[in-house]
Amino acid sequence: MTSSTELKMTVYSSLFVALIAIGAFISIPIGPVPIVLQNMFVLLASIILGPLWGLASVAVYLVIGLAGLPVFAGGTSGIGKLFGPTGGYLLGYLPCVFITASISKGLGKKMSSDIIAMLIGSLIVYAAGVPWLKVVTSMTFQKALAVGMVPFLIGDALKILAAAFIAKTLRPVVKL
Amino acid sequence: MPKAIIDIKDLSFIFDDGFRGLNHISLSINQGEFIILAGKNGSGKTTFLRHLNGLLMPTSGTIRVNGLEISKHLIETRKTVGMVFQDPDTQMVGDTVFDEVAFGPENLKITRARIKEIVTKVLETLNLFHLKDRNPSTLSGGEKRKVAIAGILVMDPQVIVFDEPFSNLDYPGILQVLATIMDLHRAGQTVMIATHDIEPVIFEATRMIIMEKGSVKEDDVPLNLVGRLESYGVREPCFSKFGLEPQSWQK
Amino acid sequence: MAEITPFTYRPGDSILHLLDTRLKFFIISLVNISMLPAGFISTGFYFFMLLFFFKKTGLRFFSMLSNMKFFLILLVFVFLARAFTITGDTVFSSFGVTVSNQGLAEGGMVAFKFFLIMLTGIIFSATTKPSSVKTAVQWFLKPVPFVPEKRVAVMISLALCFMPVILRQAKEVSDAQKARCAHLQKNPIRKTIGIVLPLLKKTFLSADNLILAMESRCYSDDRTDPEFNPSGKERGFFFGSIAVSICLILF
Ligand SMILES: Nc1ncnc2c1ncn2[C@@H]1O[C@H](COP(=O)(O)OP(=O)(O)OP(=O)(O)O)[C@@H](O)[C@H]1O
Ligand SMILES: [Mg+2]
Repeated sequence: MTSSTELKMTVYSSLFVALIAIGAFISIPIGPVPIVLQNMFVLLASIILGPLWGLASVAVYLVIGLAGLPVFAGGTSGIGKLFGPTGGYLLGYLPCVFITASISKGLGKKMSSDIIAMLIGSLIVYAAGVPWLKVVTSMTFQKALAVGMVPFLIGDALKILAAAFIAKTLRPVVKL
Repeated sequence: MPKAIIDIKDLSFIFDDGFRGLNHISLSINQGEFIILAGKNGSGKTTFLRHLNGLLMPTSGTIRVNGLEISKHLIETRKTVGMVFQDPDTQMVGDTVFDEVAFGPENLKITRARIKEIVTKVLETLNLFHLKDRNPSTLSGGEKRKVAIAGILVMDPQVIVFDEPFSNLDYPGILQVLATIMDLHRAGQTVMIATHDIEPVIFEATRMIIMEKGSVKEDDVPLNLVGRLESYGVREPCFSKFGLEPQSWQK
Repeated sequence: MAEITPFTYRPGDSILHLLDTRLKFFIISLVNISMLPAGFISTGFYFFMLLFFFKKTGLRFFSMLSNMKFFLILLVFVFLARAFTITGDTVFSSFGVTVSNQGLAEGGMVAFKFFLIMLTGIIFSATTKPSSVKTAVQWFLKPVPFVPEKRVAVMISLALCFMPVILRQAKEVSDAQKARCAHLQKNPIRKTIGIVLPLLKKTFLSADNLILAMESRCYSDDRTDPEFNPSGKERGFFFGSIAVSICLILF
């Protein structure tokens, strides 16, 4: 890797750190439940940046949140957040981004493979988030699913389809 | 004979898609000059400037800075030729004005104590010291532009190149930036400005280069070119349009 | 960031502002972990201590609470879940659910502890400059193998710079969409694409400009190390925090 592509990836990854952080606060009003963009940016980071740089941008996002910059949902931050009820979702972004990126790369960066990759990636976030929610709040498993996963599934499906299209148009622009 | 800092011989540049961006350009830039680079949109000004500190490399021809070939001496070139870009928002890397200005020296691994000293000095020179703890994104357009200039000035370059320094500024903003650039030139700094609005700078400039379709069409003392500018798509300064005496913008 | 969250840095010169950020990290981690086994008395004591420091930050307690609505609702859930599931001396029982004394007490404690941890985080954010968070992160990452801490620090700076740029561009995109009556678009996928795609195109263009600006300022990973300005009160706070966490664990 030449030094200038490395600089390019550093800047693009930082851009995604900022997008993921802002994605926790901006939403698109659609129907009763607004669509929050954060997890969409995590998925886009994986398919546009690839496994390593994608992982880097999610890791840096988590680090600045843990270190006390108010970039987690609700404008909060800190180690405490990670031990809190929603900590599992945040940590789940790490395996999510790596696996989504690897699958998308392995299957050849086509729109269909991106969709499969993002579906699996989204499930990974829930696989980490829901049990965590259950343990921390000592809800029953059914209840944790009903609160922490079911309401978001339709929005996730929409976001994945939109993200697949966005990735397809963006790849030639970004030239990676 | 003035000393040439940048020496360009038969420079041509072709983009990846085959478009000819620059066409056999030869010229030199001398110590103490104030050069306006004019030409309409797409005439190749930005493409040309980016060659001066190695952001683009010539397809053919050579550029030497202080006698050194650019491609083999990138760091020296970038210290000698500082570049201020058009949009200040997308060239800021620090989260305070002080850190923003310190970015260049930090890249050169200058010691922390020395960085403090030179950054403070530059901020004081440009009257920005009171803003040192502000976030650059919260400044006015003119102040942002000045911070961008400070970030270049702190590297102590021999030539400062500006790409459209007046775009998107209101009138006070233009005056603010103009005054800064003129002070620099009067202190002996070599300056080159790409702009399609030549009005504010024409009195200070010692030389004007006009580009069209990637070629240099004119290269002369500015007042000699007044009256012929419109044919290159450059707006004539008001005094020439109305047949008045030239009068500087600076009060 | 100022526009998106109410808990951002507020300039000031209280002792919490001046304290070395690395020590603040240490204290927060220590206290948050000691909170887990803490009993009622010491938790209450810690709450009043937080209130004391909270006053010093200049944040207003009740406006903060209203900004934390969603988090507080979540805490109510946590409380109820505990109250309903933990068995013990029954307080009341109807519709098939039983609420016990122990359940109420434990649910209340857990929710209260989450609240205090949150409050600690807010005080930290309000009194710590983003750029010093960055340098402290860099310092802590230094001993960690395979992590290029200087690059991480640069990424943090860049991300902080991008945030206001992205927010501004998001506003521009949404205004442009409104002007073209995009709110009539009912297809949610099209609607999402119509906002996110232009936003990303713009931000990537800004990123490309930034890359050029960084290159022309000699960007390098091998940079001058950051510096720290301890306030001199670190020793007292260090031992104080250890005392507090021992109290939390014991009582
Ligand atoms: N990456 C690229 N690939 C192909 N052509 C390009 C590229 N970048 C610029 N060009 C073309 O090169 C020409 C010169 O562009 P340049 O940006 O140098 O002009 P300019 O004089 O700076 O214009 P402006 O006044 O708008 O800033 C333009 O016609 C432009 O379309
Ligand atoms: Mg240009």
